[in-house]
Order: sequence, then C-alpha cells, then structure tokens
Amino acid sequence: MIWVIVVAVAVLALVTVVVARRNRSPQSSVDSFRRQIDALGPAARRTVVDQVQTAAGREPDPDVRQADERRAEPDDEDGPRGA
Amino acid sequence: MARDLAIDLGTANTLVYMKGRGIVLNEPSVIALNRQTGEVLATGREAWQMIGRTPGYIVAVRPLRGGAITDFEITERMIRLLLQRVGVSRFTRPKVVICVPSAITEVERRAVTDAARRAGAADANLIEQPMAAAIGADLPIDEPVGNMVIDIGGGTSETAVISLGGIVALEAVRVGSFDIDAAIQNYVRREHGIAIGERTAEEIKMAIGSADPTPQESQAEVRGRDLMTGLPKTVILTPEEIRYAIEDVVSSIVSSVIRCLAKAPPELSQDFLVRGMYLVGGGGLLRGLAQRIERETKVPVRMSNVPLEAVVLGAGHVIEHYDALKGMFMGARR
Ligand SMILES: Nc1ncnc2c1ncn2[C@@H]1O[C@H](COP(=O)(O)OP(=O)(O)OP(=O)(O)O)[C@@H](O)[C@H]1O
Ligand SMILES: [Mg+2]
Repeated sequence: MIWVIVVAVAVLALVTVVVARRNRSPQSSVDSFRRQIDALGPAARRTVVDQVQTAAGREPDPDVRQADERRAEPDDEDGPRGA
Repeated sequence: MARDLAIDLGTANTLVYMKGRGIVLNEPSVIALNRQTGEVLATGREAWQMIGRTPGYIVAVRPLRGGAITDFEITERMIRLLLQRVGVSRFTRPKVVICVPSAITEVERRAVTDAARRAGAADANLIEQPMAAAIGADLPIDEPVGNMVIDIGGGTSETAVISLGGIVALEAVRVGSFDIDAAIQNYVRREHGIAIGERTAEEIKMAIGSADPTPQESQAEVRGRDLMTGLPKTVILTPEEIRYAIEDVVSSIVSSVIRCLAKAPPELSQDFLVRGMYLVGGGGLLRGLAQRIERETKVPVRMSNVPLEAVVLGAGHVIEHYDALKGMFMGARR
C-alpha cells in the first residue's frame, strides 16, 4: 500500500517538473539568448577593446626582439641573413 | 580565491588571460624533457631555445604540433605547469576556458578538459578558436551580419563565418605556418643539398618568405650542413624560390578559405564584399598572404591589429562574461 503512494507521489513530482520546465523554457531561452547577444555587443566588448588597445601599443615582445637580434648577429651559426 | 583564466593553447604559442588582469603569460608551446626519466627540464621560451640544439638525452617538443594532441600525457603536464605558473594550486580553483582547434576530436576534447580539471581547475570548458578570434578582433558578431575570420596558426588554419554569436560556416585544415617551415626545410635540402633546422627555416620564412610578390624583396644567406660533405655550407636563397617552395602549403590554405566562402549562405556572402574578411594568427603575417587571398577571392582582407593575441583576448572576454556566454562553449550549443 505504502509503495503505491510513494510511486504516485514520485510520478506526480516528475510530471510537475517536466511541465514546469516546458512552460518556463521558451521564456528562459529567450532571456539567455538576449543575455548572450548583449554580452557580445559593443558595450560589453569594451574591456576587450581596451585590452586590444593596450596590446597594440605594447612594448615589443621579448621573443620578437630576440629573433631580430639573432638575425642581426653576424656570426650566427645557421641563421639567414639579408644578402 | 583564484581568478578565472582563459587559455589559448596554440600549437606554436600559449597565451593566458586572467580575469580582470589581462594577458599574464605569452610564450612558445614547447616543453623540454629528459628522455630517460621523462622529467620536465624546461617549458616555454627556455625550452624553445633548445629546439634542435639538445644533447641526446634531452628532447624539446611541441606537444600540440599539427593541431592534434599527439601525446596526452605531455599535454596534461604542460597544462598543469601552465596553471601552476599563473598561481593555480589545490586550494585556489579557478574556472578555465581553453581555446582549441574546431577540428578537435571528442577524445582530444575530453583529454584537454580532464587535464585542466586534474591540474586544479574548478571547471574547464572549451571554445572554438575562430569564435574566440572573432570576439578578440572586435567584430560585431552580436549582429545578424556575416563576419568572416581567418585564423592561420602554426598547425591549423581555420576560417569561419559568424553571425548572431554562432558559427554559420566553418572550414578547418590541419595545415599552418609550421608546414611552411617544413616546406622550406625540404626545399633547401633537395635543391641546395644542405640540412637546416626548423628554427632556421622559420627565420627564413619571416625574413624573405612571401605568398605573393611584394615590393622591396631581398635575398637571404643561409648556413646549414652540407649533406654530402657534412661540413657547414652557406647558400643564397631568393624570395622567388621560397615562394615556389611554399606554394603547395599556401594554396591549400587559400583553398580552405575559398571553401568556407562557398559554404556561407548567400545573404551573408553579400556582407563580406562590404565588410571584408579578418585575418588573425601569426601565419597570417606572412608577407603577401592577405594580398594573395584578396586576389583569389575578390573579397577585401583586413589584418587584425592584434593577430597573435586575438584568440586569447576573445576567450578572455568570455571569462569576463562567463554566465551570459557559457552557451557558447563547445558541446553546450542549444
Ligand atoms: N611575421 C611573420 N611572418 C610569417 N610567419 C609568422 C610571422 N610571425 C609569426 N609567424 C608564424 O606564426 C606561427 C604562430 O602563430 P600563432 O601564434 O597564431 O599560432 P598558434 O595559435 O600557436 O597555432 P594554432 O592556432 O595553429 O594552434 C608560427 O609558425 C610563426 O612562425
Ligand atoms: Mg591560434
């Protein structure tokens, strides 16, 4: 007898969850899509744009400098040189 | 409390963006190991300097070379070291977003996220490189317009059309700037009979390599080992012969861009003519490449002003807006 009640309650809970999800999902999917699009918009992108500007006006990368120096070295073992 | 991280785990270079701080690490994706014990001896710039110059017991490798994870164990150790170096420990567990080639297999995907979790990430998610590149290049991907981005890296070349925050068309090939280095190495060996290392080949590419004739071209003097005598030898290389040497690689990259254009819906194709395509990635810096793509596609090509950082900056943007953008993670598509 108790099992019948437990199963009935479980089924009811499941149905409630499914129905709630189905009812909620269109609105929440619209919301999350809106939020995603807003987060990709120009206002949100500002932090990255700032980063881009700092990066663009940056000091030369130590790696790049090394490569340049190496290319300029006259007695490099095997590097190419302008001829 | 650790700050969340975005990682561009490139085949050539690894960059890390820390939430609220910006780029905190930028170095070659190279690891040097003791061949006998398997111990890590160096990573990054230090390991890069060892490539081709190590004694027999040391091996300096790029574990992600070819855009594929060839060695899971080494990749995991690299991710672990990377996280340690930016301050991640067992007690500070940040969220991590990692950019990977879009052609990555399911197994590779799992390997990268598992590695990051085991290395201390509270949560690890992946995002496709071209998507991150488009955000980092500041393209208006929130609008219903065709944004085309071409990312040419060391081991991969990916072209994507993005509109309304999603990938509409994608073409990815496991061919990149490393293949140009290899083509130069092979050419010099075949035509001049000398052996050169991969770093020298890369230097030749940067010094005189080009995908299309450009003004003010110069020759380069290259030293290597004569294959016949074994002695050091010098040869002069011209820009024309390097163009010839790398032609196959360049044309396969250009063909993949053309295939992506062909996949785009016609409504978006119109946009490219006006807006152009954006070129990012170190491989895109090859002289004459933008001009060559433009010539073959008749679509204007614009160079990003941060070609090497665009991908990590885009992933950094995702970390900054984590909750709103988590639907963009690989495998999270609605
Ligand atoms: N000025 C240049 N001219 C030609 N090639 C360049 C130049 N600068 C960098 N490269 C090449 O770009 C490559 C590195 O580019 P990048 O850092 O974008 O690759 P990655 O992101 O690590 O690779 P992937 O995206 O394939 O995983 C190297 O092969 C390097 O030789
Ligand atoms: Mg890359």
